[in-house]
Amino acid sequence: MANVNSAVDMKTPQVDAKKVKKKRSQWYEVWRRLRKNKAAMVGLVIISILLFSAIFADFIAPEGYDDQDLTRRFASPSSENFMGTDHLGRDIFSRIIYGTRISLQVGFIAVGIAALTGGTLGAVAGYYGGKLDNIIMRLMDVLLAIPSILLAISIVAALGSSLVNVMIAVGISSTPTYARIVRASVLTIKDQEYVEAARAIGANDFRIIIKHILPNSMAPIIVQATLGVAGAILSAAGLSFIGLGIQPPNPEWGNMLSSGRHYIRDYWHIATFPGVAIMITIFGLNLLGDGLRDALDPRLKN
Amino acid sequence: MHKYILRRLFLLIPVMLGVSFIVFTMMYLTPGDPARIMLGESAPGHEVERLREELGLNDPFLVQYGNFIKDLVVHQDLGRSYTNSRPVMGEIVSRFPTTLKLAGLGVLVAVIIGIPTGIISATKQYSLFDNISMVGALLGVSMPNFWQGIMLILLFSVTLGWLPASGFSTPQQMILPALTLGTSSAAIITRMTRSSMLEVIRQDYIRTARAKGQVESVIINRHALKNALIPIVTVIGLQFGFLLGGAVLTESIFSVPGLGRLMVDAIGQRNFPIVQGGVLFIALTFSMVNLGVDILYAFLDPRIKSQYK
Amino acid sequence: MLKNKKALILVSFLLVFSLVAVGCGSETASGPADPNKLVVAQPSDAVTLDPHGQNDNASARVRLQMFETLVDQDADLQIIPSLAESWEQLDELTYEFYLKEGVKFHNGEELTANDVAFSLRRALGSANVSFIIEAIDVDSIEVVDTYTVRFSTKESFAPILAHLAHPSIAIVSEVAVNEHGEDFGQYPVGTGPYKLANWEKDEFVDLVRFEDYHNEERFAKIENVTFRAISEGGNRTIELETGGIDIAYDIPAMDINRVEESDDLILIRDMNFSTTYVGFNAAKEPFDDVRVRQAINYVVNMDAVVDAAYDGIGTPAKGPLGANVWGANLDLEAYGYNVERAKELMAEAGYADGFTAEIWTNQNPQRIAVLEMVQNQLADINIKVETSILDWGVFLQETAAGNHDMFVMGWGTVTGDPDYGLYALFHSSGHGDAGNRTFYTNERVDELLDLGRATADEDERAAYYHEAQQIIRDEAPWIFTWNGEELTGTQTWVRGFSNSPAGHHALWTVYYE
Repeated sequence: MANVNSAVDMKTPQVDAKKVKKKRSQWYEVWRRLRKNKAAMVGLVIISILLFSAIFADFIAPEGYDDQDLTRRFASPSSENFMGTDHLGRDIFSRIIYGTRISLQVGFIAVGIAALTGGTLGAVAGYYGGKLDNIIMRLMDVLLAIPSILLAISIVAALGSSLVNVMIAVGISSTPTYARIVRASVLTIKDQEYVEAARAIGANDFRIIIKHILPNSMAPIIVQATLGVAGAILSAAGLSFIGLGIQPPNPEWGNMLSSGRHYIRDYWHIATFPGVAIMITIFGLNLLGDGLRDALDPRLKN
Repeated sequence: MHKYILRRLFLLIPVMLGVSFIVFTMMYLTPGDPARIMLGESAPGHEVERLREELGLNDPFLVQYGNFIKDLVVHQDLGRSYTNSRPVMGEIVSRFPTTLKLAGLGVLVAVIIGIPTGIISATKQYSLFDNISMVGALLGVSMPNFWQGIMLILLFSVTLGWLPASGFSTPQQMILPALTLGTSSAAIITRMTRSSMLEVIRQDYIRTARAKGQVESVIINRHALKNALIPIVTVIGLQFGFLLGGAVLTESIFSVPGLGRLMVDAIGQRNFPIVQGGVLFIALTFSMVNLGVDILYAFLDPRIKSQYK
Repeated sequence: MLKNKKALILVSFLLVFSLVAVGCGSETASGPADPNKLVVAQPSDAVTLDPHGQNDNASARVRLQMFETLVDQDADLQIIPSLAESWEQLDELTYEFYLKEGVKFHNGEELTANDVAFSLRRALGSANVSFIIEAIDVDSIEVVDTYTVRFSTKESFAPILAHLAHPSIAIVSEVAVNEHGEDFGQYPVGTGPYKLANWEKDEFVDLVRFEDYHNEERFAKIENVTFRAISEGGNRTIELETGGIDIAYDIPAMDINRVEESDDLILIRDMNFSTTYVGFNAAKEPFDDVRVRQAINYVVNMDAVVDAAYDGIGTPAKGPLGANVWGANLDLEAYGYNVERAKELMAEAGYADGFTAEIWTNQNPQRIAVLEMVQNQLADINIKVETSILDWGVFLQETAAGNHDMFVMGWGTVTGDPDYGLYALFHSSGHGDAGNRTFYTNERVDELLDLGRATADEDERAAYYHEAQQIIRDEAPWIFTWNGEELTGTQTWVRGFSNSPAGHHALWTVYYE
């Protein structure tokens, strides 16, 4: 499911240690490069629009997400209901707008969980090395050996289906990726002179990891996270599709798609719009992710 | 090299033990009584209790896990399914070829679409074809495959009436599931082929070949493709591993009797022996495929091979 | 490795071409693909073909073709002979059955009283099915002679014959069970008109006619039957339309018109024994107040709910039993949609300002739709409802433990007898696990249900059940929701098929024309 990630793993960009010295200009440089990339800008615009709809859903959506009206079930798209209504006579457009909230929440929080736990584990493993490294990374191998969708399904089954549990499940199942990325960049950074210098003047490990090492492994994490949000949204929609997702009447896109598929032959609009919404979101995130990767590491740009 | 392979195989043992422990713990903590699910809503409580006792569900956690490992190691036995009391091993082995076939066909679709598209895109960088195929590839990864499956059924089965919408025994039945499963991999392979080709094309020896006046198609086919293939092959291998485990949704949309569907049903029914055996089996296959990819990678790229000596 | 890109392009074109070519091959047929084969699709594959194993619908539908019971029920729910030619009630508790002679099992063995005694004991020992014939005292089962078997019930139990006709109380071959042990479910041996030929799990079950079958009236007309498992309802319809299957069970509501209006297909629809209900936890505040339960029944617009959730199939329920169950009280009056009355009742009960409650169900799309609408409509009397979709196992466990407020669930009165549809669900002895998940308690109902069980006289029995249903309807431990329908689609050339209200349809009657 989080298939989006695999292409990235191949080329984890590595960060120049020198960059840390001129932090502000470095990020400015990235932004400058990103701005030149039209595709990435399209992605950014899509994501901004989605964020905007999520935040201002109450103002944008013409109706509530659970305003049922059994007298207008299956209404086709019209000026009144721009995307039609579903089997309970709810306005699909409004549900999709509110659904943005859920999908973005799931995407960002799940990735947050994964990046935080994975990043910490990876940093610790890479920095300390030895036995600790071995234990942590073998644990990550165990998680990696179980296909992520199966892992997510079992976690949701164990915890019960709810918004929070879906986030946790999707988060845990993508933790190992972050652990690996961070560990790899920590390994390349930890022996650099400036880290040794920090150690020499008596900085403790925690400080060194937080102040010196993590900021320098940010680039690959940012890229992975952007694409990871896409993967997480897809995973959550897939979980909902097989009935292990977020509780109705919450307008989760995967859920809407799943219940709309029964009506697809007669009322195409019910399952089509949520599918398109998912696709556009993932598309936007992928464009942005690609652009970020190029901007963060110009050497990779083709 | 042999040493490396042996070491990797040896390392699989603790990983598999870890997988079994995690799955076992997770299933143990999962609410929902398998005995109650098997007996349904109409059976009285004392019958449920009797069945729990029969299935060994009342034993302490470590005893249950110990028994599972003992049976597995000593008797090579994964136990019997709760629901139909068939041996777990047989249940898994009978489903595996289907999933393997589905994943294989998915990869085939991906390769057939992905590699030519990627090559053309790379040789005609920034052309209309390149732009369209890159946007297409991105859309391909962005499309939820369960949605795509439904749309394909709508088009090919309902509207056109060309292909059956379910099952997996005849070649016709395999087309739609393979397309559904292969799309996102096709997109990934397209992108990988393109970028890998572009990288190779910029190398000095290609420039030299061009300078020597060789025909462009010869350059691409003879020199560039061969070197660009290394990362592509790796991606194909990884995709195959991924599709093996990721076919769950495709299998359920098209009623394909594969391993993924078996697992999802088993998790729903709390059919613990099947879940444990199945996850272990899938994890092992997955790891073996990854190992195979690593070996192949080393084999194709002499620079990497030398590292393992 | 790859010689040139043109070859690749060629290959990909070939593939696309072959896709199209292969696709064009199928066309609509005008008769059965194979006159000796009947292909039937149902939503899932059989779990086990051991009749005393898991008691699910998909398995029962296949097993019915292969196994038989001591007695059977005809279309009017009257008990008719099957493996037992006749029977006799010796006293209040004791029954004697006289077996038909010369009945062969699929393995060639002859059916004897030993097999019957063995099967009954085996069923009683199986956690899956023993509840069906719990009434029988296992120690009393006795082989009188080769063709006579005798047993007693623990207490007088009027519906015993209907329970013996339950397909799960099938008679199996003792020899075959001993031979295959735990694997009997894969190598089933019964006396029915079809026997197992081949079984590819989750894909299909092939049955073949049993040529030595004992009952001429039920001798199978079509030689081979294949059951296919197609989980997506829409896909079953599509397969039916494209001619891949001859009979499709459980046509989804959305496809009814399509099948009905098609010139190539026939839709066979009949009311079945299933009922869906929204249960209250009658032991818990505020649902222990009958006025609250009634108010909720008034405020839910059940006609609209049923129409939306089930797309017009089945009928809104008026009471605890469907009209086709024996002894159903047809005079019950539906609550109807009356918000004013609901508000009055809520005010009387002291809940004019409403309260907060939870409603649960499991992963069943129709039940979820009911749940969403009930939640929405209860807001009209200020009840704020939170919803949860639970996993089936958790759902059963939590509702049995009484941790719920409201829940959406179903029941099938498989025997067509009111005892099956009322006792477990409303008798106070069944609180929790045994089926009374509403924890409803009413002494008079208990008494009536006990009387109904013990009384042989049909008119008297019916009167007891009518009264019990009236009380239950008035005290409303449920929101009476829906009675279901069997929807089967067939090709035009399929003849002789009829729906069974229990959902287990006979296939030996089917033929082609």
